[in-house]
Amino acid sequence: MTDQHEVGPGSDVSGPTSWSIHLNDVSVTYPNGTTALRNVSLDIPAGEMVSIVGLSGSGKSTLIRVMNGLVPVTTGTVAVGPHEVTHLRGRQLRQLRGHIGMIFQGFNLAERTSVFRNVMVGRFADTPTYRTLLGVSSERDRDLVFAGLDSVGMLDKVWTRASDLSGGQKQRVAIARALAQGPSVMLADEPVASLDPPTAHSVMNDLRHINGERGLTVLVNLHLIDLAQQYTTRMIGLRAGEIVFDGPAAEATESNFEHIYGRPIKSNDKLAN
Amino acid sequence: MTDTAPTVWELPPKPTNRARIALIIGAIATFTTLTCLPAIGGVELDFASLVDNWRNGARLGREFIQPDLSFLPRTYRPMLETLQMAVVGAGVAAVLSVPLTLWAARQTNPRLATRQPVRFTINVVRAVPDLVYATVLVAVIGVGPLPGLITLILFDIGIVVKLVSEAIDAGEHPYMEAGMAAGGTQVQVNRGVVLAQSWPFFTNQWLYVLELNVRISAILGVVGAGGIGRLISERRAFFAYDDVGAIVFEILVVVIVIELFSNLVRRRLT
Ligand SMILES: Nc1ncnc2c1ncn2[C@@H]1O[C@H](COP(=O)(O)OP(=O)(O)O)[C@@H](O)[C@H]1O
Ligand SMILES: [Mg+2]
Repeated sequence: MTDQHEVGPGSDVSGPTSWSIHLNDVSVTYPNGTTALRNVSLDIPAGEMVSIVGLSGSGKSTLIRVMNGLVPVTTGTVAVGPHEVTHLRGRQLRQLRGHIGMIFQGFNLAERTSVFRNVMVGRFADTPTYRTLLGVSSERDRDLVFAGLDSVGMLDKVWTRASDLSGGQKQRVAIARALAQGPSVMLADEPVASLDPPTAHSVMNDLRHINGERGLTVLVNLHLIDLAQQYTTRMIGLRAGEIVFDGPAAEATESNFEHIYGRPIKSNDKLAN
Repeated sequence: MTDTAPTVWELPPKPTNRARIALIIGAIATFTTLTCLPAIGGVELDFASLVDNWRNGARLGREFIQPDLSFLPRTYRPMLETLQMAVVGAGVAAVLSVPLTLWAARQTNPRLATRQPVRFTINVVRAVPDLVYATVLVAVIGVGPLPGLITLILFDIGIVVKLVSEAIDAGEHPYMEAGMAAGGTQVQVNRGVVLAQSWPFFTNQWLYVLELNVRISAILGVVGAGGIGRLISERRAFFAYDDVGAIVFEILVVVIVIELFSNLVRRRLT
């Protein structure tokens, strides 16, 4: 699958605003004692497309998860848009998460159910629990689900069982699920690591369009340096939980990457090897 | 390459579990011996009576394997009652098992404070033998199919909730993280995706308890809890073993038919 479809109009979700992200001196130590982030401070203006690169275990997933509160910070503060994430609990935290779309390396779909039901997950934050319990969705929810699928070219698969899709199609459904939220920020944790090269490019293109046309702030974890350079404008390098590089992605040199990775660059650090 | 001597690997000592196996066998042997020693109040196995009564047993056996099929028409109504109890019991248990299972599994209910009471109750419910429920409920409610039905429901819920909640906890559910990341409540995630994803676990156990129900409800009548069991105990009291044989034969047929049916459904579902 190499189709380079547009994430275009018709996908317009009532013009969501784009949010900035600020991390101030954030550290995360997991209950087992592993410190995944050390004194990370970061300012990402609204509408920027940022990649986070680093070796496996450098803290990329943790960094992205403190932004929607999936991982609580140990010290420091995180602000996303008008919200102080660190202070939010319960309902307020869920409201915030509703404004932050997220996609994953493993797509994280419920494989045994339909594409429709999977994308409907993106409407949870704006749906009263009793409605989900009764299994009734509003006209508006369905509209947003169809619009999300349409914008990634997957509308014709709406009633298909998720397990019957290819990897690239699954990731697009996951993007549709995030878009159905009408998000202000889009987080992507190694979104193409399970995909073949042409599909990886088409998913990265989808993310670029989401950033370009909707103006959303996009943060994407990558371990492939050529993808980071090709698709993002700013690159953050993580090494053992610390930011060791922060600058324009296109200008990063081989020695910058060797510094981030702490070793010589190998051919499988790039998609096109 | 010319012939070289085979490499001699310097291996760490291979772990051996011979000691553990010996220990287990020893424990079982000791336990068996002890429980059979009459001197310390063990089970008395009176093999002599087995030999003494073999003539008696042989006669009963002969009657039993020559069932009086003309008795069958009298069994249809109680058999229907047994089947009704089995099906209705499995159905009610199926409905109740869904919320209880999601409540009892760690991944669908991370809060210990609400999970532990459900698990505890389910374990207690499972610990009580079905005939004890039936006997007690007959004493409380009275003779009839209702105590039998309640017995089956309790029995089924114990099995389904335990097995399915363990199956859910043994699995990986990455889609749950996506649901939480999208701002869903645990209940929304459970209802919206976990349920759809866990459907095969549920249907498998529901069919399994339906099979069990037919077998159990056939004997519940012995303690007065409705169904064909009442007829068994009545005919046995009259030493009409040819009638008992007919009933047992009928139960066998019904159980096999139900199992064929549930295998068929199971195959369609997977
Ligand atoms: N839930 C967790 N509990 C304990 N340690 C964790 C957990 N998640 C990640 N870690 C550890 O934190 C470090 C950073 O992990 P992660 O953020 O997943 O890095 P990356 O995404 O770059 O591979 C690793 O050492 C990892 O083992
Ligand atoms: Mg990771």
